[in-house]
Amino acid sequence: MTHLSCEPHCYQPEALHARDLSVRYEHHTALHGASASFRLGEFSAVIGPNGAGKSTLLKAMLGLVPLSGGEVDYGGSADLQPHAAYVPQGQTLDWAFPVTVWDVAMMGRTGRLGWWHRPGPADRARAEQALRQTELWELRGRHIAELSGGQRQRALLARMLVRDAAVLLLDEPLTGVDTTTSQSVLALLRAQADAGRAVVMVTHDLEQAAHWCDQLVLVNRQVVASGTPEQVYTPANIEATFSVSHLGSAHGKA
Amino acid sequence: MTEWLTDPLAFGFFVRALAALTLVSVLCAVVGSWVVLRGLSYVGDAMSHAVLPGIVAAFLAGGNVLLGAALAAVLSALGMNVLQARSGLKQDSATYIVFVGMFALGIVLLSRTPTFTSDLSHFLIGNPLGVTSTDLWVTAGAVLGVGGLLLGLQKELLLASFDPTEARAIGLPVRRLEQLLLVLIGLVVVLVTALVGTTLSVSLLITGAAAARLYARSLGQMMLFAALFGVLGGAVGLYASYYLGTAAGATVVLVNTVMFVLLLLARGRLARS
Repeated sequence: MTHLSCEPHCYQPEALHARDLSVRYEHHTALHGASASFRLGEFSAVIGPNGAGKSTLLKAMLGLVPLSGGEVDYGGSADLQPHAAYVPQGQTLDWAFPVTVWDVAMMGRTGRLGWWHRPGPADRARAEQALRQTELWELRGRHIAELSGGQRQRALLARMLVRDAAVLLLDEPLTGVDTTTSQSVLALLRAQADAGRAVVMVTHDLEQAAHWCDQLVLVNRQVVASGTPEQVYTPANIEATFSVSHLGSAHGKA
Repeated sequence: MTEWLTDPLAFGFFVRALAALTLVSVLCAVVGSWVVLRGLSYVGDAMSHAVLPGIVAAFLAGGNVLLGAALAAVLSALGMNVLQARSGLKQDSATYIVFVGMFALGIVLLSRTPTFTSDLSHFLIGNPLGVTSTDLWVTAGAVLGVGGLLLGLQKELLLASFDPTEARAIGLPVRRLEQLLLVLIGLVVVLVTALVGTTLSVSLLITGAAAARLYARSLGQMMLFAALFGVLGGAVGLYASYYLGTAAGATVVLVNTVMFVLLLLARGRLARS
């Protein structure tokens, strides 16, 4: 990972470019011609109402949902794609699953280790570092059912750090956590961007996003606006993103 | 004083039954833990019916009944997985369509069987006391093979089970892993079937693992507890059937069920105190 010293918004290598992405689920269009760019060293927020296709955009960029149009380009560098780390919405996981905090962090090593390989000292050292960074080291032996909402989110962040990915994609990391946790999550993500990674999070929290992020991407089936918070955070854009009632999106999947 | 414990051991069939139940318990602990974690218990149940045509066909053709059952299990597992992918049906529906069809095929074949011999009925009802030393070797081989395979794939299976989206994001073949698990469930059900019969086999596969889940903090613990519960239930059930003169397979299953309920109640008590 190269540490990029240039100021935000000057030219930075593009890590991920989504061009005209369209995704159709069986009965409705989740995304229609959405385009966005994410650069290394930038912290971006994808913002929009429920059912706007925010999660779908992330999944489309990860290749997890079939595209009905458009393409995803990982900066021309093929080796970036396998290094995109994904953090799912916490409530989609089964927290009664018999794993400890340590096990969750170690899962981040799975792809790097490869088939039939067991984690070695270097992998364990990386997991320890990530757990200390997320202030979970003391809780490493805990079963995940015994964690609070904020601690669960931090466990997923520890797993993400362990991945050592160039591109970090997070689905609603601020949902269901208290204010203290959300501030520490945002600070951690900011630091990851400053260290040269491309960080993309889906969120509802416009205020926090405008405060912490370099780029806002307003989404409602398509990209309504994208750019710096100063450029994008305007009443007209907010109106266009949130207030238009989309009858079709009420039963849509976010 | 310990004669009641040692007396039955004078019989070869009793020792073999004990050894077989112990081996199968370990196998069921490893496979059953994944079955319980992934909510695939109904596949175990369905599989126990799906092996019937394999058993009957092998019997009619004069082949190895165990092999026939294993073949039917593998075909059903793959058939179900393909059907689900093609139709977009939920897994439970796809499973039962294939498995009930297989069971019906078994009954149709059975109705063409001129004589319904005890060989065949033993396989359907099961009898741990009828275990031969060849059966034991086959089971031991399965424990090593299946156990080794699942241990080797543990981190991939763990990620694919806990967070399938992340697993797909890093490029794991989530569907292939699922197919493998289905095939392994089928093979284990076949081995267990010989001991307790088709209808009771799913008990050994899941009861121990389900009880272990109540107490385990990690996957390793869950498998260890499941094996302990299974071995204990097998031994207690076998001795009970010896002294009560009851059907061995069903007694073992009953003991397992009672043990599960007791462990569940004990956990509730622990949680309150």
